[in-house]
Amino acid sequence: MYQTFIEPFTFPFMARALAELIMLGALAGTVGVLILLRRLAFMTDALTHTVFPGVVIGYLLTGEGGIFWGALAAGGLTAVLLTLLTRNRAVTEDTALAVLLTTFFAIGVVLVSRESGYTTDLTAFLFGRILTVTAQQLTQTLVVTLLVVAALVILRRPLTARAFDPQGAQAAGYRIGLLDLITNAIVALVVVASVRAVGTVLVIALLIVPAAAARAVSDRLTVIVPVAALLGALGGWAGLAISYDASLHHGLRLASGGTVVLVLVGLYLGALAAAAAGRRLRTVRRTA
Amino acid sequence: MGMTPALDLDEVGVAYGAAPALENIDGTVAPGEAVALIGPNGAGKSTLIKAILGLVPLASGRITVLGSAPAGARRHVAYVPQADTLDPEFPISVGQVVLMGRYRRIGWLRRPGAADRQAARQALEQVGLADRARHRFGTLSGGQRQRVLLARAIAAEPRLLLLDEPFNGVDAVSEQALLAAIAALKEGGAAVVVSTHDLALAHLACEEVCLLNRRQYGFGPTQTTLTPERLRATYGGHALELRGDRVIVAHS
Ligand SMILES: Nc1ncnc2c1ncn2[C@@H]1O[C@H](COP(=O)(O)OP(=O)(O)OP(=O)(O)O)[C@@H](O)[C@H]1O
Ligand SMILES: [Mg+2]
Repeated sequence: MYQTFIEPFTFPFMARALAELIMLGALAGTVGVLILLRRLAFMTDALTHTVFPGVVIGYLLTGEGGIFWGALAAGGLTAVLLTLLTRNRAVTEDTALAVLLTTFFAIGVVLVSRESGYTTDLTAFLFGRILTVTAQQLTQTLVVTLLVVAALVILRRPLTARAFDPQGAQAAGYRIGLLDLITNAIVALVVVASVRAVGTVLVIALLIVPAAAARAVSDRLTVIVPVAALLGALGGWAGLAISYDASLHHGLRLASGGTVVLVLVGLYLGALAAAAAGRRLRTVRRTA
Repeated sequence: MGMTPALDLDEVGVAYGAAPALENIDGTVAPGEAVALIGPNGAGKSTLIKAILGLVPLASGRITVLGSAPAGARRHVAYVPQADTLDPEFPISVGQVVLMGRYRRIGWLRRPGAADRQAARQALEQVGLADRARHRFGTLSGGQRQRVLLARAIAAEPRLLLLDEPFNGVDAVSEQALLAAIAALKEGGAAVVVSTHDLALAHLACEEVCLLNRRQYGFGPTQTTLTPERLRATYGGHALELRGDRVIVAHS
């Protein structure tokens, strides 16, 4: 156990990768609950695609360091566009998203294909480079985490009211448009922060799976949020450790991002089993 | 009279784009009184309620709520949506839903105080669901959920209560509980606006009725306004039967 789950992280690059994944896992797990409550999984998926051209443009302009800012610009633009488009009831959410998604993603692919190392670059953009995380990247992730957590703490009541009963929240005087913009911006920010480490394709798993697992084991938000954060962090840690161990000791080259996702899915299945067992136990107790 | 009305509708008109949804709605509701909004599907009942909440802009006229513009009176206005529009899977307890009625008073960061918890508990008692506080909202029946939403409105201590078809799919027990809670609110001086297809409810709980179908077909005391002739006019070209207390529209 020690050899698999602790020892690898004595290397500085592994320690940085671990810190990054634990932070992102906890952050994405928490924000995932908001996505779950608002049923924004599809929009989140779209965001991970629209951020892609931003990543590529940022990289082309200024190299590795430009990725975050490129993604941030694309994510911010998408968040605003989505809020505006979905406000206009004539355009259904699905149509607006499909149009944005395909346009943005196509731009990204066209841009990458103009580069020489087309496939290696594309793989890195899509699946991330967790093992080359820098100290500066860690700082960026920390800042994003603090910002998002602060926003969620301050806005927890308006966001809950809006998610549960939009008309009632509006009648109570909450500004739905503003809350939706903030929600979209938060999701975009998390996607942007995760994109360099785990890639645009795997972000979606970090955002959806821990929250779904936490929801399976509890009906109470005060339990769901911390459990989702914990599962996200745990998935990051275990996934990283297992992929490292497999590559080093068993000659199996497992992509760390992919392993993280598989561990998360395992945790989700475990949560489903635990929830089913809990239900059966309660039924047995009640009938006994 | 001299007393400020809880609600004053002054030649109110609402349009969605170019299509008028309401024209020349005019009347007042005094504190402690209830008005029933009655009209066929698409008549503009929900639209009028949204206008009173300040959620749709007026094309003409003016709405005054407790002496001020609708947007400025929200603190004293509570709205009860139809329970079946809400997500039954949402992870929230009955007690938390009711506490939502206090959110505007609690503010953003403060924890709910003793007064807030007390108000929520009492409101839930009033609708007869005190023993369900810890249950998940979605596990209750439709009628019970509707009562929880009314409890949330009661917990907000409103001076004007707006209900949009609260009795759809509600059984007799829940209907009695809802009626009793509404009566208690009125006794406390709150005014009530309720849209409904149920004429019995209008007779039982409402001093006034507003008959509308895009325009107003009558606004006044229930006894004198809720007549078969006016109902027939309100429901338009459809053959209309009044069977007991229900409006039956026979589509041709
Ligand atoms: N958001 C909207 N945009 C455009 N038209 C609308 C909108 N909401 C309502 N309408 C139209 O306004 C008219 C009045 O609708 P409203 O929902 O107020 O009727 P209602 O009396 O509440 O009907 P019901 O008994 O079916 O609830 C209808 O013709 C409807 O099509
Ligand atoms: Mg309606």
